[in-house]
Amino acid sequence: MKYALLFIVLIGVYSLFAGNANKEKYENSQVSNEDTQTAISPSQTDAEEKVLTENKTIRISAVGQGVAPVNTISPAQAYALAKRAAIADAYRIIAEKVKGVRVDGQDLVKNMMVQRSTVRTSVQAMIKNANIVETNFKDGLCEVEIEIVLSYSQFIQ
Amino acid sequence: MRSRDRDRSFLLSIYSIVLLHSLALSASEYLISYRYTVKDAILYNETLSISHAMKKCDEKNTFTKEELVLENGGITNLQTIISKNTNEFIDYIHKLGMHIQHKDLTVNLQNASTTVLTLKTSCFKVDFNDTFVRIVPLK
Repeated sequence: MKYALLFIVLIGVYSLFAGNANKEKYENSQVSNEDTQTAISPSQTDAEEKVLTENKTIRISAVGQGVAPVNTISPAQAYALAKRAAIADAYRIIAEKVKGVRVDGQDLVKNMMVQRSTVRTSVQAMIKNANIVETNFKDGLCEVEIEIVLSYSQFIQ
Repeated sequence: MRSRDRDRSFLLSIYSIVLLHSLALSASEYLISYRYTVKDAILYNETLSISHAMKKCDEKNTFTKEELVLENGGITNLQTIISKNTNEFIDYIHKLGMHIQHKDLTVNLQNASTTVLTLKTSCFKVDFNDTFVRIVPLK
């Protein structure tokens, strides 16, 4: 009988400790959730700061990549041609960021199987006063970083 | 009957008109267009067209801030001067503004893209001096 009572008491004490431990664990998880939320919030504020409002400007930059053609007569020509292609790519990225992209998609399904999947994207824009910030040329690949400063009044036009 | 003083002032006005007209004529106008195509990240085609303007451009707005000065080295042909300073001139054209048209096609996960950058035919005022050439866009 004594052993039975002692056993019951031990179980009670164990369950009490186990309950406290679970409570602490739950509280800790709550704190960690809060921490992650606070960790996310600065990036959210950054995103908010990037909204273009009146009397403010936004600096938009893009890195374009271009490859030199195979049949070049000199490394200098390869560099010049690859740079031109990289500039066009950077312009395209800036246009996509500022103006957005038009996307058209078409899937052909026959007998429950995709026969042909087509995605067309296009962008048209006019870009002025773009500055070349950095140019790198390595292993036939040219990377050009371009930036534009966009003001509210210019964007409205 | 006209007095001698009146004749003198009349001649002076004629001379001044001729002088001003000749000064204006020394600055010639050119039409320039530029276009290049990039296919799958490789430059495919590039065209730079330069031509004398057959008819006078509208000179209401000249943007002197956007002028380009190139050394001419005694040459009076604009095309030759630009071909000797191609990189400078193309950077300058990019600053003025380029129209971009990009098309991308993905068929069964295989991608092909075409980007065309264009400077539509624009009028430029070109001043030839002893050692340099001044190019100003007219809009």
